Amino acid sequence: MEERVHADRLVRRWRLLGLVLAVLVYAYLVLPSLIVIPISFSGAGDMSFPPKTYSLALYREFFSTSTWMAPLIQSLKIAGISAVIVIVAAVPAAYALVRFEFPGKRLVMMLMMSPVLVPVIVLALGMYLYFSRLGATGTTLAIVLGHSVYVIPFVIVTVAAGIRQMDPAIEFAATVMGANRTTLFLRVVLPQLTPSVVAGILFAFLISFDEVVIAWFLSSAQTTTLPVRMYSSIQWGVSPVIAAVSTLLTALSFLVCLVSVMLQPATARQGGAAGATLSTNPQVVPT
Amino acid sequence: MTAKPGREAAFYLAPAFLLALGVVLVPLVFIVITSVWSPATGFSLEAYRGLAESPLFRRSLLTTFEISAMGAALSMLLGYPVALHLSRLAPRARAFCMILVLVPFWTSILVKSYAFTVILGKQGIINSVLSWIAGSEVYVPMLLNRVGVMVGMTNYLVPFVVFPLLASLLAIDKSIYHAVEILGAKPPTVFWKVTLPLSMPGVTSALLSTFVMSTGFFVIPALLGGRKDVMLANLVDFYTRETLDWNTAAAIGVILLGIVTLIAGTAMQFQRSRGLARGT
Repeated sequence: MEERVHADRLVRRWRLLGLVLAVLVYAYLVLPSLIVIPISFSGAGDMSFPPKTYSLALYREFFSTSTWMAPLIQSLKIAGISAVIVIVAAVPAAYALVRFEFPGKRLVMMLMMSPVLVPVIVLALGMYLYFSRLGATGTTLAIVLGHSVYVIPFVIVTVAAGIRQMDPAIEFAATVMGANRTTLFLRVVLPQLTPSVVAGILFAFLISFDEVVIAWFLSSAQTTTLPVRMYSSIQWGVSPVIAAVSTLLTALSFLVCLVSVMLQPATARQGGAAGATLSTNPQVVPT
Repeated sequence: MTAKPGREAAFYLAPAFLLALGVVLVPLVFIVITSVWSPATGFSLEAYRGLAESPLFRRSLLTTFEISAMGAALSMLLGYPVALHLSRLAPRARAFCMILVLVPFWTSILVKSYAFTVILGKQGIINSVLSWIAGSEVYVPMLLNRVGVMVGMTNYLVPFVVFPLLASLLAIDKSIYHAVEILGAKPPTVFWKVTLPLSMPGVTSALLSTFVMSTGFFVIPALLGGRKDVMLANLVDFYTRETLDWNTAAAIGVILLGIVTLIAGTAMQFQRSRGLARGT
């Protein structure tokens, strides 16, 4: 009996140790991005933490100078166009990869998923050399194309997870009843996929909006994106405006993250780890 | 489903396939060609020969391996307690705690890098707190050196450790835990003899993927590292933009691609043979 009590205490102590370690790591992951928020509201000229005075000076500076506004608009434009291209390309591709068996499938899949495996720096260098040859470096189109191929694998994985949960019998029934493939895809497949497609659009937008390395290689002074502007700004002496930009970016990430969690199918959400696969299974390539 | 699945699939695949062909495959071929050919000299292996003799390249190759290995190992140490904690929670609580891992996962690397310059810098939060405690000026260098790089890397990589590890931990049959508890195993024994060995598939896949990812890191060593932390990716950038030596930059790109393909290929082969052995 006494031994039993002792064992219980040991179990509890061991659990507590695990909890403490886990909480410390959670804090390590989350706190750095949160620390930026109070700094972004600090008064003019105040660089201390926690700030002594609070104001919206940094936000005013961000939204009133073209050095920050032009990259912001550029990033919104690129992320918006890329998201459209990615959805148009990735949704049907995911459908084909889940539902069809055909010769060379592994090869096709490897080519389309390769931007996840190939280091971004290599991809960016290749695009730089290639677009230079075409005389297209520094153009918005080059960045849009670069971001599109980079994001497609993530959206394919997201949408494929949604397709696997659909009952193929429904598509079979539609085919038997005479639906051609356009009707089948637009009226039978897509309506069932709405949550995955919405999640895909959000991911595509956010990944493109945050992407630095490809944009760093492909953009020029006129086509600088917000992350590239941030990157050079952090590298050459930190401007306090970055705190405001960072806060806005963190808010955007948090929003996308919440929506993606809500959009997950109920079964996946209960599964926990399986739920994580929808939004997180694709390995994000190092930046 | 239909008579000609190949043609049917091609219809759906065409846009993504053409984009990948034109904007991924052709650029990669461009790198390979540029590394061995230039308009001025024609075909030559000069770029590779130059790299083999360059102390700068050899040092950053070594640095890349060092940082990647250390980053993967440290991230594993940090990620394991989190994955273990998540695996023991009820689904609802797990979904909530998962957000604590997902938010940093989706946070821009630049936001994190900026945050760490504010936290670790000379007048940063940690040094200010230390100075306040000591009552005199204290300066622990944590930025623009290996410490800064490791902080940035691990912060970025931990989510990539947690996801595969959690999947592995959740796959462990709960009745095994009941059995060993009935047999009187103490918690440390349960961890070392049951949990850790059974989570090994997750551990290896997490270590491999984080190592491979780290070899291509660019932003973190550039913003948080110093001169001794130049990785291959930074060298690619240096040769492309500073010295305009595209041949050398391309040669480094090919080498980086080779390293990644080799490691990932071996890992896949390994996993497939293990999968076959288990009959899955």
